[in-house]
Amino acid sequence: MSNIVVRDDLSVVRTGTQDFVTVVLAGQTLGIPVLSVHDVLNPQQITRIPLAPAWVSGVLNLRGKIVTAIDLRQRLGLPPLEKGKQSMSVVVEHNDEPYSLQIDTVGEVLSLDDADFERNPVTLDQRWREVSRGIYRLKDKLLPILDVDRLLAFESNGKAA
Amino acid sequence: MDDLLNEFLTETGESIDVVDVELVKLEQDPNNKEVLDNIFRLVHTIKGTCGFLGLPRLESVAHASENVLGKFRDGELQVSEHAVTVILESLDRIKEILAGLEATEEEPEGDDSDLIARLDAIAEGAMAEPDPEPDTMDADIVDPGLGRPLKAGEVSLEELEAAFANAPGPEEMDEPASAAASASGGPSGGSLFDRVGGDDTLAVAAHLVSQRAANDKELSKFFAGTAADLRKGQFMGLMLAIFKDDLDAADNVARQIVTVAGFTNAHFDKLIKQVKDVLVECKVDGDTADEAVMSFELVRDCMVGAVKAVAKAETNKAGTSSASAAQADAGAGAQHGEAGKRTSQSIRVSVDLLEDLMNMVSELVLTRNQLLQITRNMDNSELGVPLQRLSQCTTELQENVMKTRMQPIGNAWAKLPRIVRDLTVELDKKIELDMRGAETELDRQVLELIKDPLTHMVRNSADHGIETPAERMAVGKPEVGTIVLNAYHEGGHIIIEIKDDGRGIPVAKLSAKILEKKLATEAELAAMSDSQIQKFIFHPGFSTAEKITSVSGRGVGMDVVRSNIEKIGGTIDMVSVEGKGSTFQIKIPLTLAIVAGLIVKAQEERYAIPQISVLELVRASTNSEHKIETIKDTPVLRLRNRLLPLVYLNEVLGFMTRDEIDARENADDFIVVAQVGAFTFGIVVDQVFDTEEIVVKPVAPILKDLDIYSGNTILGDGSVIMILDPNGIASKANSGVGDHDREEEDMQEQVRRGSGREKESMLLFRAGGKNPKAVPLALVARLEEIEVETIELSDGREMVQYRGALMPLIKAHPNMSLRTEGRQPVLVFTDREYTMGLAVDEILDIVEEELDIKLASDKQGVVGSAVINGKASEVIDVSYFLNLAFADWLKSRSVSDDVATSKGATVLLIDDSDFFRGMLKPVLRVAGYDVKAVSSAKAALKLMDEGHVYDLVISDIEMPDMNGFDFARQIRDGSKWEHLPLIALSALATERDVQRGHEAGFDDYIAKFDKEMLLRSLAQQLKIKGDAA
Repeated sequence: MSNIVVRDDLSVVRTGTQDFVTVVLAGQTLGIPVLSVHDVLNPQQITRIPLAPAWVSGVLNLRGKIVTAIDLRQRLGLPPLEKGKQSMSVVVEHNDEPYSLQIDTVGEVLSLDDADFERNPVTLDQRWREVSRGIYRLKDKLLPILDVDRLLAFESNGKAA
Repeated sequence: MDDLLNEFLTETGESIDVVDVELVKLEQDPNNKEVLDNIFRLVHTIKGTCGFLGLPRLESVAHASENVLGKFRDGELQVSEHAVTVILESLDRIKEILAGLEATEEEPEGDDSDLIARLDAIAEGAMAEPDPEPDTMDADIVDPGLGRPLKAGEVSLEELEAAFANAPGPEEMDEPASAAASASGGPSGGSLFDRVGGDDTLAVAAHLVSQRAANDKELSKFFAGTAADLRKGQFMGLMLAIFKDDLDAADNVARQIVTVAGFTNAHFDKLIKQVKDVLVECKVDGDTADEAVMSFELVRDCMVGAVKAVAKAETNKAGTSSASAAQADAGAGAQHGEAGKRTSQSIRVSVDLLEDLMNMVSELVLTRNQLLQITRNMDNSELGVPLQRLSQCTTELQENVMKTRMQPIGNAWAKLPRIVRDLTVELDKKIELDMRGAETELDRQVLELIKDPLTHMVRNSADHGIETPAERMAVGKPEVGTIVLNAYHEGGHIIIEIKDDGRGIPVAKLSAKILEKKLATEAELAAMSDSQIQKFIFHPGFSTAEKITSVSGRGVGMDVVRSNIEKIGGTIDMVSVEGKGSTFQIKIPLTLAIVAGLIVKAQEERYAIPQISVLELVRASTNSEHKIETIKDTPVLRLRNRLLPLVYLNEVLGFMTRDEIDARENADDFIVVAQVGAFTFGIVVDQVFDTEEIVVKPVAPILKDLDIYSGNTILGDGSVIMILDPNGIASKANSGVGDHDREEEDMQEQVRRGSGREKESMLLFRAGGKNPKAVPLALVARLEEIEVETIELSDGREMVQYRGALMPLIKAHPNMSLRTEGRQPVLVFTDREYTMGLAVDEILDIVEEELDIKLASDKQGVVGSAVINGKASEVIDVSYFLNLAFADWLKSRSVSDDVATSKGATVLLIDDSDFFRGMLKPVLRVAGYDVKAVSSAKAALKLMDEGHVYDLVISDIEMPDMNGFDFARQIRDGSKWEHLPLIALSALATERDVQRGHEAGFDDYIAKFDKEMLLRSLAQQLKIKGDAA
């Protein structure tokens, strides 16, 4: 299912399909590689951590495991969720640590053709460019793919955010 | 027993077992190089270790066998049965010696020259006629049971297995031999066991009986459920027990030996007939064999009866496993219980297994907590009792599993004395290694990880830190340098300190190096403090040693140490004073641990505080005995005549500002009194719940920077809470500006020698005039506000009823007047039974200042003035006021003639009374001395050991633990302070006391309240000392 082709811009890509979980964040749909998603959670009881960075919303108990919850809206510079609405979470792993990414809602799982993949446009907002691996051209919309490792690489850039 | 010896025994025992098996393999396959190499290596190791431990007998035997094996390996000798036998014999000899070693911790006496000669003969290729072999080997040659001579390999293999699997302990081999020798007078002498022929014959007999029983059509089914080896062992055990008249053991084995129902008397008859046949074949004489068979009758009932028991039991699995245990029992019972000893002492378990166990136990604890939580909300639940029991078991299980992982840190240190010794030789230095707290336990895994960094750091200290004796002498240090290793627990952390009294880290040299390596610019360096520059040693690729010694200085230095320590979640800090020495402090958190935690609440969130750092809980509300008061902005609590500094958790966590906290009405707070090191403080929380066993899980990496949390955990109700780190809270509370700098300064203070000045907490107040006055906070017992109406006049003096007694009120300044209405602020001073109130106009603040009293004042009641908080403040002389209040407190003396002082002399003051230390310190400072005060003779001796030097020592006499007389005697008895002037200061000042003081070695003896005499004596003694020098 994966063949190597040379595209118009001379870049070599493998073609095939990959699966993504789509999530919605402030109206924008994002894709997360399905293989890196461990769990999808309904709204959870989250323990706040005073003095922690603003984009760390707290910790939660996932079947006996302590998971750090990341406020994705904060992380990406979006306004907080409207009052009365609760976030769902997608649990991913980074450096063997589980993190729960708080998003608005979870959508469907899409199987996308590699041929529709494109690198980030240079004009993309800096904050988004940092965490987007690239963009899929869907029929009706564009789907940026979240780069989980970069998103959670706090050591290098997290403190600034 | 010596740890080393113990380990050696376990290890050698294991090796020999392996060699046994391998040798047998080798015999089968003489060309298998791998097997040969393995044997050779094992025997070589045994030899090497013996030599190291000084066990000549073992060594010589092992050496001789190694020789032969070496020849095998090099192809000079063919592997022959004979050679292997002799080697096996030597292994038996080694086992025998090991058994002796275990029993007596000394090599048993004995002569091995015969064995060694035979081994040597083989090594030299002299294929002499095989020496007469032990009985077992005789039996090998022909197996009568099969009625034909067997191929050599096959027979000896089986027999060896039989002999070794049944492990005739070497000591037993000796015993029956000697017993048999003594009984050789007649066949009827000695026990049945001896006459049958001892272990050797039994081993063979058991083998044969077991085999035949298995081959017999009728009998085989009864033994079908048991593996051949085990069956053999069972028969061996049975015979041993029967022949040695150990009926209990015999019954036991007999019951286990039959595993299938249907064993009848007829079957039993058939079995003993076989036993008899075998015994006869084993050359046991007829009478003895008959007797032996008769004795089997003793277990007839057991064996036949066992059948029913077996028939009832549905499975036989448990039977077989307990049979082996029973067999072991029988064996051990029949002998002297020695054989089982070594094996039961320790076994090796993989760390992964322990890790799994630990995780499971953690989960178990959490589940238990959940259950407890649920039942707590149920009334009269019948779950209560079993749950209680479950809880208890869980706790015990948890403790034991924890224990399996804990090892004393001394294990990681074991090699250090040797390393340091080698270094002293190599580097031509004199170094003493002082290891303290070696028993401090920490997790095995952590221990492994810090072993190398620790070794590296001690090496560094020895190599870079400690100077050569010549250099040390030149700067006036003792010739012998000291490296102190200290490990202890503190607030859920393990602290390891490595301290040396060497040259410290040279800042100038370091700066040059930093510039050279372009790690920082000159401008950057200029802006850095010394300690910041010194921390560059943690920078990757940094080494200050000018020449690279074989010891250290290869540039993979402290950065590797640091990253290793950080890998396990620890931190490393360093303080170094040039010329004085360096102190490294490693702090390792106790992650993965289960601890008791106190659950508290602040702002609707719960937090856990490790119970280990909690001293007590106090409830404070506006109208209870305890209430929170503020001095300026510093909240404090009066607790048993002490002022306890407080921290609001709500404020620390950023929930509330101080103003919001102060604005609360009817505040009802709980105060968790916590201790961090020597610092005690109170954490004010909204509510306190119970304590719970919590499993400390490390926080996510992103939260590592938050030092107020030491981890997080899941509570019984499933919610996640953060675990507070009292250390972090304390440092945050000490805050305001640059608290970290202050910490560093404090650390430096420790390193700096005795002359360093200490900071002093001063209470500032106003009384009669605008200028603030000050008094050391340590002297103030309480701060009170007294209703003016309650002040009474008695005998012309103001008194107030206070805590059931009359307390005189003294005005802090003659010009001030007491308030006429409302409440009068009063400082309460207590000394022994005296309690006095000092009325002041206003209490201002508490500040921490280096007390630098500028000039002695001739004003009464004033020690001098000092700049505090940027303002000139008078420091009051509490003793003056006490004297005013109580005529008998001490005889008033006017400050008369000036006392000649030796300015800047350093004085060590030892007094167990905080009050006196606090009172004398300013007095002595005013007189121009640098004062260091300690509370006990022990502490003083510790300072001496650490190499501090003072010009003079003032000591109290009446002190707990060690009194002044003993202290003086110890000092005068050839200590480092032998020639220091010593002044005794005591409330007991009768002629006899003074006499005793002089005898103990005091130069002068002063009554405690005689300030003038003391100052005069000080000057006098220092002058004498000066003249003498």
